[in-house]
Amino acid sequence: MSHPRPAEMDMSPPRKSFWRNLSFVWLVPIAALAVTLFIAWQSWAARGTLIEIRFTNAAGVTADETVVRYRDVSVGLVENVRFSADMESVIVAARIDQNVADNLPVDAQFWVVRPEVSARGISGLSTVLSGVYIEASFTPEPGAAASSFEGTNKAPLVLPGKKGTRLTIRASDGSRLSAGSPIFYRGIEVGSIEAPRLLDSGDGVVVEGFVEAPHDRRINSATRFWDVSGFSVSLGAGGLDLSVDSLASLVTGGISFDTVFSGGTTIDDDQVFDLFESEKSARESVFSDVIDNAVKLTVEFDESVSGLSAGSPVQYRGLRVGVVSAIGAFIEDTASGQTVKLRVTISIDPQSMGLQKDVRPAETLAFLAGAVKEGLRAQLAAKSIFSNTLVVDLVDAPDAPEATLGIFNGEFPVLPSIESDLPDVTATAEGLLQRVNDLPVEEVMEQAISLMASIEAVAAAEGTRTAPDAILALIEDARGLIGSEATQAIPQELRDTVGELRSTIAGLTKVTEDLQTADAVGQLVAALNAAEVAAEDFSGLSAELSEAGSEVPALIDDLRALTAKANSLEVEQLMTSAASFLDGADKLVDSEDMRALPAALTGALQEAQAALSQLREGGIVENANATLASASDAAKAVATAVETLPALSDRLARLVRQAEGTLAGYGNESSFNRETVAALREVRQAAAAVSKLARALERNPNSLLFGR
Amino acid sequence: MENTRTAPSVLTARAAGLIGCTQCGRVQTPGAARCIRCGSVLQSRDEASLQKVWAWFFAGLVVYVPANIYPMLRTSSLGKTTDSTILGGVIDLIHHGSIGIALIVFFASIVIPVGKFIAIAYLALSIRHRVKLSDHRRHILYEIVEFVGRWSMIDVFVVAILAALVQLDFAAHINPGIAAVSFALSVAFTMMSAQSFDPRLIWDANKGNPA
Repeated sequence: MSHPRPAEMDMSPPRKSFWRNLSFVWLVPIAALAVTLFIAWQSWAARGTLIEIRFTNAAGVTADETVVRYRDVSVGLVENVRFSADMESVIVAARIDQNVADNLPVDAQFWVVRPEVSARGISGLSTVLSGVYIEASFTPEPGAAASSFEGTNKAPLVLPGKKGTRLTIRASDGSRLSAGSPIFYRGIEVGSIEAPRLLDSGDGVVVEGFVEAPHDRRINSATRFWDVSGFSVSLGAGGLDLSVDSLASLVTGGISFDTVFSGGTTIDDDQVFDLFESEKSARESVFSDVIDNAVKLTVEFDESVSGLSAGSPVQYRGLRVGVVSAIGAFIEDTASGQTVKLRVTISIDPQSMGLQKDVRPAETLAFLAGAVKEGLRAQLAAKSIFSNTLVVDLVDAPDAPEATLGIFNGEFPVLPSIESDLPDVTATAEGLLQRVNDLPVEEVMEQAISLMASIEAVAAAEGTRTAPDAILALIEDARGLIGSEATQAIPQELRDTVGELRSTIAGLTKVTEDLQTADAVGQLVAALNAAEVAAEDFSGLSAELSEAGSEVPALIDDLRALTAKANSLEVEQLMTSAASFLDGADKLVDSEDMRALPAALTGALQEAQAALSQLREGGIVENANATLASASDAAKAVATAVETLPALSDRLARLVRQAEGTLAGYGNESSFNRETVAALREVRQAAAAVSKLARALERNPNSLLFGR
Repeated sequence: MENTRTAPSVLTARAAGLIGCTQCGRVQTPGAARCIRCGSVLQSRDEASLQKVWAWFFAGLVVYVPANIYPMLRTSSLGKTTDSTILGGVIDLIHHGSIGIALIVFFASIVIPVGKFIAIAYLALSIRHRVKLSDHRRHILYEIVEFVGRWSMIDVFVVAILAALVQLDFAAHINPGIAAVSFALSVAFTMMSAQSFDPRLIWDANKGNPA
């Protein structure tokens, strides 16, 4: 295969110069390299400084994710999270932008921002989704470039650089204060407090607060802080007082302040304020030590100062002139041994006493010495009748024993005191409780229960049930006696006697006729005498009968009394009364008079008959008319006696009816019994109620005082 | 002739005294400076070809470094921002169980570019140095490199599409990182590098270096 002849090539020779031969394309890799190197250098230069922050825990902090922010701008990124060498804390290493790191002072604060929900609102909500971040706060300090920091768990109260005043507040109790609680000035939130912490001594809490500018200029030495946490209710002579502050302070607590008197001086950095319970006590606290020329006095009291405390007011005629600044005890040697006396230090504001504002203490003391000579004494007095809080009262007691203002070297002058006339409310209340406690409630209950038992036993006893039957039988007997033939025959016999007397008189008429013929006057007189005796017997009998009749009302009275007693449930007495009633009835029935009645009647009749027969046998008396008159008198007496008898029997019958009614009430199923049982039940219920009350009282004696 | 073993002896245009237009392929008579059909500059051999190849090659290599170091994607989801590099993304995908996608990304973003670098370097070196691969095979290799080069852009496309679509404010948004630009540049540079290579040199090498 023959190749075509190659044409003549017009070949230009290669350019020999290396540089001339160099393609401009080489600029591209050079530029790329330059750019890449520039980017590398830039990112290296901007990668910032590694700082270390020490946290107690690093919840939510993740390497390469958690950012560090300053004023909410991301200035760095956490590079790693590790433990410290002693495993006590967590060290978070973060790379911070160079320009920020250069300005980091040693006291820069770092804290982890987490979502937080509190009564004051929700914060850090964005971290719920994005995760936590570390917030930095510091006052930029060019060139400081610190690289090791202590992190806090919570956001600091005051961000560095914030203008305001930091202050320390001392409180007795921190239960109502929590971190972040607001500080109010006239209801405007002007600051906040940190979490309260215990004093080293443990007898109080201290809380740091911060009041923002410009409100902090309201604070001076005359400023008082008080607690506005929750709400306060006070009931006093002025009525019910309820005060509630903002809802937030209701939940988280809060502190309010105000300048309570003029002339306060600017405060030092380490000024410590006391936290008062309420605005009232804060305003009343003006006295303590703030008065420059206040005079301090000592008062010694023999009695208990329970209820008096440092801060209690000192009053003069009801006007507040000072304050109790301290209370203490000391031992005094006396002739009879050592006695403990209580010493109260009071400070008195001369201005309140009417002296000049700038009076010197010596002058105040001189004034007081004069007043003491006049009878000025210190006395404990109750603040109000509702409380046992005490105040020191300065009273004018001209009758008090002579005393002077004791001025000793080195100590406060001693103001003499007199015994207070305090109603010892405490003692009284205690006594009341003691008495309530001492009530023999248990014994009363036991006795009541045993009484109930005995009543029940008596009511249920065989004897009680049979007693009405016995009484009924007795009455039956009495009725039988009264209704007996002999007793009922008495009037008949009397009638017969009268009839016989009539026939006798008829005979006498005949005898008189005979007498007119025969002289039997003497015998007739004797017979008439006998008749007279009989008549006398009769009248005696009738007297006795009426006497017996008069006993019946008494018997009825007895019965009524018995009924009344039965009604009043005095069963035992009822039984005795019933017995005595029956005795009385028995006595009446069995009385000699009653029994003697028919015999006497019979005797009298027999005598009359005998007299008549003697008359019949004997001669006829002359003065038969006179005899007849006296016989007629006798007959009248007999008739009277006879007339009284029906009344007697009526009364007896009435007595029986009443007794029957009474006794019928005693029947087994009678209403009396039911009523008795019902009454017993009621008594038992009452007893149960009393015992319940007793138990309740035993459990809670206070309820007697408070009503529940 | 060594290469005659692997490939039949080829008469090149140059050997035939002709010039082929690289643009339209028309064979020109010697001495023509411009293609009579398309008007492009005629050059029997591009003397600066290897220079350009190496220049683009190095440029591509330089920008390939940050493309792998810096984050490709910046994903913000619900306030959480995650940066992922190419290799990190592949590892993440494997962790999530999407091994298939991980393989695609791995091939498209790492194997192909790296292979391209090696292939270009190999071809460029083969012009001056003796290599075992026959002329023909090297030409096929060149064709493959040139064809496959644009597919490396798949990563850049993915990032571009994601960044354009996923802009849901707080819920999620995706931004391209520095690496995306670097990678795109790297791909572009290697493509330029491949373009700059004058495959006719492959044949010349055999001619110029007879056994």
